[in-house]
Amino acid sequence: MDARRDIPLVITFLVGVIAVMDYYTTFSAVKETFTVIKNWGVVLNAFALGLGAVNLFRVHGRRISERKRSDWPFSAWLLLMLVIFVLVGLGTGQFDASDQYQWIYNALYLPIGATMYASLCFYMSYGAYKILRARNLDSFLLFVTAIFVVLGNTPLFPALFPPFFHIREWIFKAVVGGAYRGIRIGVGIGAVVLGIRTLIGMETGYLGRR
Amino acid sequence: MSAWEKLTALPREIVLGLVLIAMILPTLKPLGLPLMVGTMAKDWYDTVDALPSGSVVLFDIGFGSGGYPSLGPATIAALHQMFEKDLKIILMATALEGSMMYPLIMNKVKPEENYGAVYGEDYVFLGYIAGGQTAMAGVLGDLHAIVSTEYTGKPIDQIPLLKGVEGAEDISLVAYITTSGDTSEGWVYQAYSAYGKDVVGGMLSMMTTSMKPYYDSGQLKGLLDGVKGAADMEFLTRHPGDAIKSSDVLSFSQTLVLIFIIVGNISYWGVKTSEKEGR
Repeated sequence: MDARRDIPLVITFLVGVIAVMDYYTTFSAVKETFTVIKNWGVVLNAFALGLGAVNLFRVHGRRISERKRSDWPFSAWLLLMLVIFVLVGLGTGQFDASDQYQWIYNALYLPIGATMYASLCFYMSYGAYKILRARNLDSFLLFVTAIFVVLGNTPLFPALFPPFFHIREWIFKAVVGGAYRGIRIGVGIGAVVLGIRTLIGMETGYLGRR
Repeated sequence: MSAWEKLTALPREIVLGLVLIAMILPTLKPLGLPLMVGTMAKDWYDTVDALPSGSVVLFDIGFGSGGYPSLGPATIAALHQMFEKDLKIILMATALEGSMMYPLIMNKVKPEENYGAVYGEDYVFLGYIAGGQTAMAGVLGDLHAIVSTEYTGKPIDQIPLLKGVEGAEDISLVAYITTSGDTSEGWVYQAYSAYGKDVVGGMLSMMTTSMKPYYDSGQLKGLLDGVKGAADMEFLTRHPGDAIKSSDVLSFSQTLVLIFIIVGNISYWGVKTSEKEGR
C-alpha cells in the first residue's frame, strides 16, 4: 500500500460520492455532510490565495536578490505594493472595506486595470484589419459572418436598419448555437467520463504524477 | 509600391491613431446616436419586472477593475431597477476584486438616498466568497453555513434580511454580472440546473457567443452583453449613464473597424488582380 497515493484517492472517492448523492438524493445527513465539505472548499480556496501570495514572495524575492534580469525593479514594485495593500488592510481592521484601502485601490489599481483591458480594443482593431481577409472559401465565410456580426453589434446600425439585428440573432442562434451546443455536449460527456475515472482512481493526474 | 499594396499594409500607427480619434471625438462631443434595445436586455428587464415586491434576489458582482468600464454601468442600471421594484437584494462577489467594485457601484446607485433602502433590511453585501462554483453551491445550499459575516464584519445572524433566507428555496432570482466564463456558466449549473432557479446574466460582449445558447434554451432568462446591453438597460430603466454615452464611441470605433476590414479586403484583391495582370 502506498499511503501517499491511496489516502488522497480514498478522500476523492468519498467526497465525490457525497457530492453525487447530494445532487440526486434528499437525505439530510448527506446534505449536511456536503455543506461541511463545501465550507472546506471555500476555506481551501481562500487559503490558496494566501499560498499564492507566499509564492509571489518566493519567485520575485529571488529575482530581486539575483538581479540577473533587467526587469527586477518591477518585482520589487510588485512586492512593495503587495505589502502596502496588506498593511493598510490589516492596519485599519476593516480590510478591503476601509476607506484607506479603497482610496489606494481606486487611485492606483482601478485605472491601470481598466487601461489594460481597454488596450485590447486597439489590438483587436488592427488584428481585424490584418487577418480578416477573404483569401479562400473558409476565410470568406468568416469575413462575411464577421461583417454581419459587427453590423448587428454596433448600436447605430440596427437602430437605422433593424434587419442587421435579426441577421446577427440568426447567426448566433442557428450557426453559433448549433456548433457550441455540440462542443458543450462533447465537453460534458468528457467531464462525466473524467469524473467517473477520477472517482474510481483511474485518473491520478491531480495528484501530481502520471 | 502600388497604391493597393500601400492600402493592404497600412502602418499600425495610422490604424491605431484613427481608432483613437474615433473614440475621442464622440467622448468629447456625444452625438446621441439612435439605439435599438435588444431582446436579451429586454428579457432581463421583464424578468426582474415580473417579480413581486419583496422578492429576494441574489446578485453576484463577478468583475474587477478591468471589467468595470463595460460591466459597471450594467450593474448600476440593473440595481436601480431592483431597488425601484423594492426587491430584497443579497449582493456577493465571486471575483476577488468584486468587493472593491461594490462601493463604486453603490456610490452611483445611492439606495438610501434614492430609494429609502436600509442596509441590512433591503440589501446586504456578503463580500468576496472564494471558491467559484463551490461558493455558488454553498450560498444556494446553506447560506448561513458558508458565510458567517457580511462585508463589514457584522455577523449575518444580526442582519434582518438574512434571517429568513436559508438558501435557494428562499431566493426568487439569481443575477450575475461577470468577466469570467467559469462564473457565467457556473451560475447556470448551480442555480438553474441544481435548483431550477431563474437566472439572468451579464457579461462582456466577447463572452456572448458562448453564453447565448443558454439564453436561447431558456436557462438564462435575460442577458446583458457588454456596453450595448448596459446601454439597453440604462434606456429601459430610464437611468442614462456611462453606457449610453459609450454607445456613440462604440458606433464610431466599430464603424471604423468595419471600414478597415473592407479596405483590407478590397486592397488585398486589388493586389492579387494587379499581380495577375502583371504576369
